[in-house]
Amino acid sequence: MNRNYIYLSILILILSAGVFFLPERDNNQQISPEELMLQIMQPTHYISTDAVAEMIIEKDPTLELIDVRPIDEYNEFSLQNAYNLPLDSIMAEGYQDYLGIEDLNAVFYSNDDIKADQAWVIAKRLGYNSIYVMKGGLNCWIRTIIQPERPEETASSEDFELYNFRRGASQYFSGIEIEIASDDSKSGVNVVRKKKKVVAEGGC
Amino acid sequence: MGPLIPQGIITGQWDFVIALLIGFAFGFILEASGFSSSRNIAGVFYGYNFVVLRVFFTALIVAMVGLLYFDYFGWINLDLVYILPTYIHSMLLGGVLMGFGFVIGGFCPGTSFTAIAIGKLDGIVFILGFFVGIAIFSFGFPLYEDFFTAGDMGNITIGEILGLSNQIVTLGVVLVALVAFWGTWLIEKRVRKTINPFKF
Amino acid sequence: MISETNLNKKPNYLNPYFGGVLLGLTLLAVFFVAGRGLSASGVIKLAIVTITDFISPAYTESNNYMNKLVPDDGSTPMFSWLVFSAIGTFFGGLISGAVYGRLGKLRIEHSPKISSKTRLFAAGIGGILFGIGSQFGRGCSSGAALSGTAAFSFGGLMVLMLMFGTGYVVAYFFRKLWI
Repeated sequence: MNRNYIYLSILILILSAGVFFLPERDNNQQISPEELMLQIMQPTHYISTDAVAEMIIEKDPTLELIDVRPIDEYNEFSLQNAYNLPLDSIMAEGYQDYLGIEDLNAVFYSNDDIKADQAWVIAKRLGYNSIYVMKGGLNCWIRTIIQPERPEETASSEDFELYNFRRGASQYFSGIEIEIASDDSKSGVNVVRKKKKVVAEGGC
Repeated sequence: MGPLIPQGIITGQWDFVIALLIGFAFGFILEASGFSSSRNIAGVFYGYNFVVLRVFFTALIVAMVGLLYFDYFGWINLDLVYILPTYIHSMLLGGVLMGFGFVIGGFCPGTSFTAIAIGKLDGIVFILGFFVGIAIFSFGFPLYEDFFTAGDMGNITIGEILGLSNQIVTLGVVLVALVAFWGTWLIEKRVRKTINPFKF
Repeated sequence: MISETNLNKKPNYLNPYFGGVLLGLTLLAVFFVAGRGLSASGVIKLAIVTITDFISPAYTESNNYMNKLVPDDGSTPMFSWLVFSAIGTFFGGLISGAVYGRLGKLRIEHSPKISSKTRLFAAGIGGILFGIGSQFGRGCSSGAALSGTAAFSFGGLMVLMLMFGTGYVVAYFFRKLWI
């Protein structure tokens, strides 16, 4: 018998047993503090209330709204099809199922920016991507979408366009006058949940 | 770092070029190891040729040990590696059917591609049969849709079922493979009176 | 590294352990690059879906197995990783056959005890069984048994053991086909 086979057998045994004797290694998949700092500083993780409203109205399937306020506030009022993920339970079992879903952009919101920002940082540290914060939170939502202010007469035409959009959106969301959405009764963002790990099932 | 494509490090059409290259390597190795011959393959069941067992288990333990080290050095994020989901019932049936198909047909799909490449008519017929088999399955799917998804255990690993770490599982597979290598060598020596051991 | 050819016209094959190491490294590479294992025959599944979708899109849409494989944007399912790797597999075999001098005209390899017809019949039946089995098993020997087990999947190991186990149990009844 060729002696090489004995050597090879011993080699693979040593290699496979060797993993038990490797020193501990901090395999931190998390984002580094420098990188996190850089990302926090960049305003690109903010998304305006107008953009969110537009996505809801257009039934953008990639939008996943996440309400980080406590559950009673969520029950009182929340945006259409938003999931409730209270900030204090973000680490709890099962709650993170909302995050890291392929092709979905998670948008955090709370009453203002603070809690949503905190949730964003935590989620970023946990390694999730495609996460955003709705700038200004629900306060801004009410101010801009639900009760838009009429711009001055001297304002630019863009401002008026925006105002008209907001007025339409306001009607859409408060349901006062249904003129944009005819199928308003069941208007919902078709969020496909649990789309995790759909790697076009492998194999034959 | 890895896996590259799920993390978006390689994007666009490059992944297809890589698919082509990897497929090429796969086919080359299968053919060069002798998997283009159904008699070589079926030999594993009759004790006259254990090339399937040797190539298969060597590849398995190399890949498993390799993955452990890749994971250790942080080169690959095992969470992003696709773990074949387990559906107990349908996989039981599937495994048994493939066992029959293996013994009767003498090929598996990958090897039959290489058999066709070098001009084996039985490889072509095998693939035609394979095609028909999948077509039968697909068109009859509504009949056993529930069965197909029954016993869903998700993307569960061997270690999670047995309560062991991946490292222990790998060591176990390595030991089994080594025993199989040495054991089959002894069997082969007995079955084939005139043995020509492979040499380096 | 190539086993020595001898006078019994033994074909020129790689040392199986060397081939195994190469295959293992290839598998490792595909895990590193694509995050999923090798796969030989998803291409056949996609071909069936493509043909069916061409003939009757309504049917593929109604079939819960096929409709998952048709991209929503209307592109062809054939533009996929599985297809390109299968093309690669074919050419890999072709080049290897050319390098080692095994390329030849169409021929049938069978045990001297059976006729070519029997062999073809058996190959067809085996193919059908393998085809059905591979779908229930979520992959064939390369997709489920090899890649699945290498990624520590329990299902992969199950398919691996069942496939070889069944093979050994029933091998006796089909021995005429081979020895």
